[in-house]
Amino acid sequence: MKKVIVTLMILLLATTAMFAAGTKEEGAKKDVTLSVLWFNDANESDVFLKTMDDYLKANPHVKLDLQIVAYNEYDQKLKLMISGGNPPDLARITTNTLSVVVDSLEPIENHVADVEAVKKQYLPSMVAFATNKEGKFIAYPTEATANGMLVNKTAFDKAGIDVDEVSKTWTWSEWETIVKKVIAANPAMKYGLAVDFTPHRFSTLMYQWNGRFLNEDQSNIKFNNPGTIATLKWFKHLHDEGLVPKSVWLGSENPAELFQAGLVAGHIGGSWNINTYNKNVKDFEWKAVRMPKGAINSSVPGGKFVASFKGAKNQEEAFKLMAAFADKAHNEMYSRDTFNIPSRNDAQVTYPSNSGDFEVFLEELKVTPAYTANEWKNTNLSKVTTYIREQIVEVLLGNITAEQAAINVDNRGATFFK
Amino acid sequence: MEIGSSTQGEPDPSDRQGCLPLGIPMKRHTKGNFHQTAAPLLFLLPNILIFGTFIIIPAIQGLRMSFTEWGVFTTPKFIGFDNFIELAGDEVFWKTFNNTIVYSFFTVALIMVYALALALLLYKNVLKGEKIFRSLFYIPSLLSMITVGIAWRFILGDEMGIINYLLRSMGGDGIRWLTDGKLAMVSIIAVSIWAQAGYYMVVLIAGLQAIPIELYEAAKIDGASAPKTFTSITLPLLRSTLLVVLVLATIASFKAYELISVMTKGGPGYATKFIVQQVYQVAFLEDRMGYASAMSIVLMLIISLFTVLQFKLSGGEADHE
Repeated sequence: MKKVIVTLMILLLATTAMFAAGTKEEGAKKDVTLSVLWFNDANESDVFLKTMDDYLKANPHVKLDLQIVAYNEYDQKLKLMISGGNPPDLARITTNTLSVVVDSLEPIENHVADVEAVKKQYLPSMVAFATNKEGKFIAYPTEATANGMLVNKTAFDKAGIDVDEVSKTWTWSEWETIVKKVIAANPAMKYGLAVDFTPHRFSTLMYQWNGRFLNEDQSNIKFNNPGTIATLKWFKHLHDEGLVPKSVWLGSENPAELFQAGLVAGHIGGSWNINTYNKNVKDFEWKAVRMPKGAINSSVPGGKFVASFKGAKNQEEAFKLMAAFADKAHNEMYSRDTFNIPSRNDAQVTYPSNSGDFEVFLEELKVTPAYTANEWKNTNLSKVTTYIREQIVEVLLGNITAEQAAINVDNRGATFFK
Repeated sequence: MEIGSSTQGEPDPSDRQGCLPLGIPMKRHTKGNFHQTAAPLLFLLPNILIFGTFIIIPAIQGLRMSFTEWGVFTTPKFIGFDNFIELAGDEVFWKTFNNTIVYSFFTVALIMVYALALALLLYKNVLKGEKIFRSLFYIPSLLSMITVGIAWRFILGDEMGIINYLLRSMGGDGIRWLTDGKLAMVSIIAVSIWAQAGYYMVVLIAGLQAIPIELYEAAKIDGASAPKTFTSITLPLLRSTLLVVLVLATIASFKAYELISVMTKGGPGYATKFIVQQVYQVAFLEDRMGYASAMSIVLMLIISLFTVLQFKLSGGEADHE
């Protein structure tokens, strides 16, 4: 009897252990913690989590390890993670970053049956950005961005100027006359325009004056061209005239803060500023208007994406999550709550406010030449942009001429296009 | 004659191998004398490992990389001395080199003077509230340079800065603290001194307190004036501490990065851009790791040169005493 009991006990223990081990193994297979690298322009990480809440509830085995990194540290952090062989499972990426890490991204077509059907869902400019040189689709577009002008409408009203009306057709020389009147009518206002301290925002003006960074086939840098030199001279003129605050390009002061403080009549920045100003500006009325015309009208398209990387540990789950995040319902929700332009063709977004401002940015995008996107997609251009920024500042300081700056940039840039 | 010193013509017993300074024969190391041989090495081992892993090996790797053309995502390609040859003709590098020297010279010199003045004022424990003042001057050195930079941007900003706001509200014009090249450099130097002097003040206070009080009493009895006492007693006896401060402050000034990045981003133009900023830009924004490594090697050589020079100069003075 004793023997039987002992045998039964051993069998029971062995069975329990076996089942317990089986359950553990199955659980280990299922539980996935996705490492997500993110940066914020405003509240995007919160909205991302909120947007994916239903997905995470439906997939309880998926957990997110969200690392939020300051944007100015972002590229470096991501590059080090990739080169160290430890890329995140997925990351939020800008068009700039995309050009830097493009070769490390895992193509979407390796994880979906019909990649062409996926591509058709997005704006053509976004698909162009997210396509590598082998023609592979390597990132899900999440939001489209554009550069545009936001103005202090209250200040224009005080000067008796209907900014809605004049901005429909204004040129930069007309803008100059108008904005001087606005400054004169508003004692607290000191400047006409703040332009973000980045070559990307400078290029908005450059494209309007028919300037370029690269040559026609984009095989080399060609900053030394009449349009770019004209832009440099005109940009210096605006600084010298006191229409643009020197503290932004010479002292890296934040132009959005100057605009919010009511010190400048307008701000050329990205469409994400709509979200920022919607939250922060309470003292005056502001709105987006069409930018003045130089030789042509132009903005600079951009966007944000989510992508996974070659060698990421949890690629399969990462792609499932990204596909869900990029679907129509989630994209609409994310675009609405982050005040961004949706990346999908079929998205119907009703913003709680500022719909008209988004329309203006979309209008700017419609007249923007295709080469602007192609230039900013160029990996080698991204390596020389900091030097370009320094050379622009040298021109503004009067240390070198616009012509000399253009030659310097071409010389330096050529080393990256070898 | 001092205890343990040698008589003329007779070899110093302490020079003889195996003898302690007083001529007492040292115990010979034996195989079993673990405490005197292996134990110290074992205690040092963790530090040696950390230093080797995080300093020596990366430094050797950096030297190796300086002879290559290498982007983060590409395989390094050996190119000999090409990076160093390019560096010799790189106008931006030499601008940053020049800025680094100017910044280091003024920052280190003024830190030495300011920290020494503070230490002299606050080391005797005779002033009322001396400990509070010591803490007040020391606190900035506990802050991260990023915090310091952000705080001073709020103070010195052209349009949004507190000082210019006050000046304008009193009817004056704002001062271009950070947008005028020369003023930006002055601002950076001033903030660096403010942020670091407290730390060196504490080091110097320790040095001052180690000087025997009897020497000052003797000088007083001999009728020595305060400046004479300072130059004949304080400065000579503080020399080794001053050397430590000099070396540490020089190394820190050559490596200044965060403060400048936050306050001026190296601008306006190249006015406050230093070698370290240029290394960062070339490595991480231009993706030229090999070339950036060559810059780092040159920076390391410059720092080493200055450090050796400082030690040599200090040693030379010691010989005259």
